[in-house]
Amino acid sequence: MYKLTRLVTLAHPASVSALADEIHALAKTHSAYRQLVAPTLAGSHFGGDLLAHFAFDDAMQRSDFDAALAPLLATPAVASVDGVAYQSGLGGRSDPGLANGVYRVLLLSVDEGIDPALVDRFEAETRTMPYYIPAIRNWQLSRADEATGARRWTHVWEQEYADAAGLMGPYMMHPYHWARIDRWFDPECPERIVDARLCHSFCAMDASVL
Amino acid sequence: MTTDDTVAAPMVHAIDEIVAKPGEGKALLSDYLARYAPGARARGMTLEQILVSPPMWLDDQSNTLVFRWSLADAGAWWQMRFVGGNDPDVAAWWADVDARAVSRRRFFASAPADIERLCDV
Repeated sequence: MYKLTRLVTLAHPASVSALADEIHALAKTHSAYRQLVAPTLAGSHFGGDLLAHFAFDDAMQRSDFDAALAPLLATPAVASVDGVAYQSGLGGRSDPGLANGVYRVLLLSVDEGIDPALVDRFEAETRTMPYYIPAIRNWQLSRADEATGARRWTHVWEQEYADAAGLMGPYMMHPYHWARIDRWFDPECPERIVDARLCHSFCAMDASVL
Repeated sequence: MTTDDTVAAPMVHAIDEIVAKPGEGKALLSDYLARYAPGARARGMTLEQILVSPPMWLDDQSNTLVFRWSLADAGAWWQMRFVGGNDPDVAAWWADVDARAVSRRRFFASAPADIERLCDV
């Protein structure tokens, strides 16, 4: 699966639904295998006003869509865009039929020059989060092929929850997160390898996109 | 029989273990208390214990310094994390420590009796 995600911050957030409609229609004409275009929910941090996520069967389809989408995101109405293009990484689904849930994506940037073995370990530990935190229903951790925005995003950590409480409660408050995984992110920990600037974005979804 | 609705949330601990470069142990402890501890307290941390190993100041070898802090609960941990993680002075402090240390660890822990409640989220 070839995926594209754009987190769009608008100059005037009131225009979010008009832009969402335009993007949604464009994705339909480009045969997106899956798409999710929705306003972000309160609590997102550097997550934009609009979350736009697409999956295609091949790289060419994705590239064509990206080229068609770019002008829509280059207007004065758009203040900034963070985004990634990537192929699906390893993941899992404990609830593939999840409906009316919450989709969350974290864009992160691992420092350049980090020992690849350490990156592998970070990835393996991150992918283990759903084992300890069952509120994560479906998930996928991928490496970015292309990045745009505030950082050269290296990873895309996607999860789906039954509701926002699953993200704000069990995901954030379980000790596997704050006492284990977070050391890769925490500037006070010597193991830190991830830049402090993150994009944490989530929105409502009708059906699973993972 | 009565029930207690005011049971405190499980306390969590942040532990710094710093192996100082030879001869640096005493000065590093002093700087930790002067430069790092006040800000940590402002972020909700309580310094519970300091240990020095071996219990003497070494001139030509390394002392290991251990600091055990407590936080009221996991929510207090995140508050500490968000504030400290976005403070450039904190990052600069740890960069200085890393230049004066052979190695360093920070890890987070609880009493075994609190594990079940901490995981029940």
